[in-house]
Amino acid sequence: MCEDTRELMEEVASLSPKLSVETFDFVADAAVAAQYGIDKIPAIAVVRTDAPVTNRGVRLYGIPSGYEFSTLIEDIRLVSTGDLGLNAQTLQELDALPGPIDIQVFVTPTCPYCPRAVLLAHRLALASDKVNASMVEATEFPQLANRYQVYGVPRTVVNDVIHVEGAVPEDMLMGKMKVLDDAPALFKLRQRWEANLN
Amino acid sequence: MNLNLSNSGLEQPGANYDVIIIGGGPAGATAALYTARAELRTLVIDKGLGSGALGITHKIANYPGILGDISGADLLQRMRQQAESFGATFLQDKVQSVDLMAETKTVFGNSGVFTARAVIISTGSMGRGQRVPGEDELLGRGVSYCATCDAAFFKGQTVAVAGNSDEAVEEALFLTRFAKQVHLLSPTPELKAPAELVHEFASKPGAIVHPGAALRAVEGDGRVENIRFATRHQGEQTLPVSGVFIYLQGGRPITDFLQGQLQVSETGCLVVDAEYRTPLPGVFAVGDVLCNHVKQAVVAAAEGAVAAMAVEKQLHGRKQLAVDWAK
Ligand SMILES: Cc1cc2nc3c(=O)[nH]c(=O)nc-3n(C[C@H](O)[C@H](O)[C@H](O)COP(=O)(O)OP(=O)(O)OC[C@H]3O[C@@H](n4cnc5c(N)ncnc54)[C@H](O)[C@@H]3O)c2cc1C
Repeated sequence: MCEDTRELMEEVASLSPKLSVETFDFVADAAVAAQYGIDKIPAIAVVRTDAPVTNRGVRLYGIPSGYEFSTLIEDIRLVSTGDLGLNAQTLQELDALPGPIDIQVFVTPTCPYCPRAVLLAHRLALASDKVNASMVEATEFPQLANRYQVYGVPRTVVNDVIHVEGAVPEDMLMGKMKVLDDAPALFKLRQRWEANLN
Repeated sequence: MNLNLSNSGLEQPGANYDVIIIGGGPAGATAALYTARAELRTLVIDKGLGSGALGITHKIANYPGILGDISGADLLQRMRQQAESFGATFLQDKVQSVDLMAETKTVFGNSGVFTARAVIISTGSMGRGQRVPGEDELLGRGVSYCATCDAAFFKGQTVAVAGNSDEAVEEALFLTRFAKQVHLLSPTPELKAPAELVHEFASKPGAIVHPGAALRAVEGDGRVENIRFATRHQGEQTLPVSGVFIYLQGGRPITDFLQGQLQVSETGCLVVDAEYRTPLPGVFAVGDVLCNHVKQAVVAAAEGAVAAMAVEKQLHGRKQLAVDWAK
């Protein structure tokens, strides 16, 4: 799958002089992977070349094929223009939440409304330095899908413990993320999540 | 490299259609007739002729201009053909979700993503009311409403599909490509889906049809382990499955795909103004999905006509509705 992902990215990059691809080897370039917070492959980080390197932002794990190809293209647009289209209220709420926030959105390439869930997470990552948001192609990472007990997509997983089913609207996701600011509730969620890990 | 990029919503910048109509019953088909005649690029997305209230009505004798008995499906087919003859496109697909907040409306089906400048919701009121115990808790943990999205998680496993419509049987058929065994639980003794389709499903290895089987509960600790269902002759039984795909129908307005983007009343219906506008700009609703709607085919059709003229008024920036009179 890594070879296919590289080919796909090179094809996309050849479409515009504004795009470039750098390919790294997960083992040989472990330091680079760590800088970008990448812990599995194939992985794509969509970044601006003029922005500092960070371990947060827009990531895609697994080849963005099928419906997820549209996510990749939209990601490039979002990263490039910064035109995120989030509500003012979302930005305020995001600002008030404690970080770091790690959002993983599990998808399959045949899921027509999964890109919506991924792009919402990616928008949040671009809106705030404390958010890291990744698409995870569930069939390419079965061990992860298993760990989070994903049997339906899209599933949005925030900091391991908040699980949201379906492509929910922005305000609903923000509502679910409020728990991040509620230590006792978060503690309970974490306990339940750890009890379920076997 | 086969990436299957068709219908990813990327082919064209801007909206693909002027108006997308969700649901092709008498309300949606009539709206399409009017928007197509007004030269608006019109797409109707509908689950299937036999999945709406008119489509399943055996005989209809009170539709003006149609003397004698006609089956609901025949009448609806005529309405659709008429709309198509003026340029409307019909697509058999299920709308799973929408994004109606932005100026360009996005509609997500199983077969693709579509965009339009306006949307008419005419999904009728054959949605499910109550859920069975365990269903909500185990959603995404084996309970699913989308086989195309989630079938890959059930390779080599045993799953159940609850429903009797075209949609239910088609999804069950799709699942036979992944699962080892697919149990189709039809709530009625006879399925509503066409006989050929049922036959095609039943002839697949691992396909089992349970006629007259009512889904009672979904059980499992953190993920689906069993379902319970009852038949007239055998009473209640437990079936070990790891997934259950639910396509049951009922009498509630179908608004689940809106995911809270439009407010629904306590009974689940949509509220509109005199021109069938919802509170969201560019989004209209007609037919049985509405509150205070008289459940008659001719009423649904009439509402579709008015809403179509209201869409035309909005997209062409008119002050008043323009009636569609032959010149
Ligand atoms: C048994 C019965 C008998 C009736 N007899 C008569 C009669 O004799 N005379 C009379 O005038 N009226 C009769 N009615 C009422 C009449 O059928 C309805 O009022 C009318 O069909 C409503 O039209 P509609 O277009 O709003 O909804 P429907 O006819 O229900 O059409 C809705 C359409 O939307 C589609 N749909 C729903 N959700 C989705 C989705 N997510 N994606 C894609 N498509 C979707 C459905 O497949 C369906 O085709 C009867 C109704 C029933 C149930």
